[in-house]
Amino acid sequence: MSWHRIRVVVRRHAYVLWRAPHRWFDIGFWPLMDIILWGSLGTYVARNTTSATSGTPYLIAGIMMFHILFQSQIAVGTGFLEETWSRNLLNVLTTPVTEFEYLAGTAAFGLFKVLFALATLSITAFGFFRFELSSIGWSILPIALILTIVGWSAGIANIGIVLRFGQGAEILIWGSNFILMAFSGVFNPVDALPGALQPIARILPSTHAFNALRAVLDGNPLPGNEIALGVIGAFVMLLAGFAFTAWMLHVFRRRGFVTRFS
Amino acid sequence: MTQQEADVLVAHELRKTFKKVEAVRGISITVSPGERVGLLGPNGAGKTTTLLMLLGAILPDTGSVTIVGHRLPRHRSRAMESVGFAAGYLPLPDRLKVREALGVFAGWYGVRNEKQAVSEALERFEITHLADRLCNALSSGQRTLVGIVKATLHNPRLLVLDEPTASLDPDVALRVRTGLLQFCASTGAALLITSHDMREVEMLTERVIFLANGQVVANDTPAAIAATFGYDDLEGVFMQLADEARRA
Repeated sequence: MSWHRIRVVVRRHAYVLWRAPHRWFDIGFWPLMDIILWGSLGTYVARNTTSATSGTPYLIAGIMMFHILFQSQIAVGTGFLEETWSRNLLNVLTTPVTEFEYLAGTAAFGLFKVLFALATLSITAFGFFRFELSSIGWSILPIALILTIVGWSAGIANIGIVLRFGQGAEILIWGSNFILMAFSGVFNPVDALPGALQPIARILPSTHAFNALRAVLDGNPLPGNEIALGVIGAFVMLLAGFAFTAWMLHVFRRRGFVTRFS
Repeated sequence: MTQQEADVLVAHELRKTFKKVEAVRGISITVSPGERVGLLGPNGAGKTTTLLMLLGAILPDTGSVTIVGHRLPRHRSRAMESVGFAAGYLPLPDRLKVREALGVFAGWYGVRNEKQAVSEALERFEITHLADRLCNALSSGQRTLVGIVKATLHNPRLLVLDEPTASLDPDVALRVRTGLLQFCASTGAALLITSHDMREVEMLTERVIFLANGQVVANDTPAAIAATFGYDDLEGVFMQLADEARRA
């Protein structure tokens, strides 16, 4: 493995972000819109309920933490898609860059996007709704770790699907986020899901991260069992993502699918 | 050192079938250090599939590829450090300036002084004026030139070019051929090139491998192949093989 080549992958994607204003939407505009949407919804519901607990912090914290997963996933996914959009895949495949180095570079660049998006979310949430991300405390770190790894795993698996089924499957890069959002209990506990769907939600590591987040927002200590389940599950998901995409890449090379992208 | 270790490229008995179509049927190719070899054949002869197998982008059904002693696919990354590849049909990364894109590839190839390598490579092919242009704003000919520059950045031991001058004006194509010959002479790089321009092949290569229907049908110097088929030059050989392939 070459750290230098990984750094060059990061640089390659930094150039693209710098020159593509619409890419800033992902890390600037959509986070802003999400905070406005979920913050306003929480405020409205709080005004019309007799409950002593406002739901607003749960919604805002939920969407903020979901953006960690979202940004991690699309950084890896669109990083790869950038090569297919510019028909550059064959150029990359004929350099010494290994699959792992390329994915590591896009994932590392994703961390920058996560930080930028979190900054946007934090400033907006505080400015509009007086919500402080620091209210979560250091608990944010293990929760963010789980969500980042889940995002990378989903992004890597999506690359495998695009390699196998072609660019038509790229809709999954965005679509998989909505699936994860619905099943991970971003805004609600798993028991609020229809009974038949709850087992699916419980096997997702991201669900345990959001369970932990809600516990912290309720004023409880960080639940170690949820974090442990989340971390273990996230690493299992990452390994599964790698294994799946390695298999798809083998199929891609065996069937000569590279000609689809060049 | 065995002969296989000494040769920059050794491909043995490559076979590839896509669904029921046998694209490549037992092709073996060897390229020695500094040797310039043309890979020719009519459309559908299996040239591009063969090239992509040699580069590790497609896995052969059977057979083996070894580049500078590194067996594919296991040692693909090490092998590619010694290979430069460009194709007339391949674009460059969007939204990057030429200098940036070449810097990225230089970094991936492990070039230590990227800026110097990029400047020297641009000068070699007389396109320093394109350095600050965006890759997606280049004409197809300029893009091809930058692609060739990309392939030579790291002084590869094997340069693989697929139809490199297909979209170039005659004067630019001549400049490219001259630049390639100078590059190979000064660095000792071997060249494996496909082209439909037989005069180009005669100018650039010392040996020609003719493919037809996924098989090697001739492997010799351009003059010897032309003589074997009873022609004065490779053009006639190509026409005959293309006609036979159409009727097969």
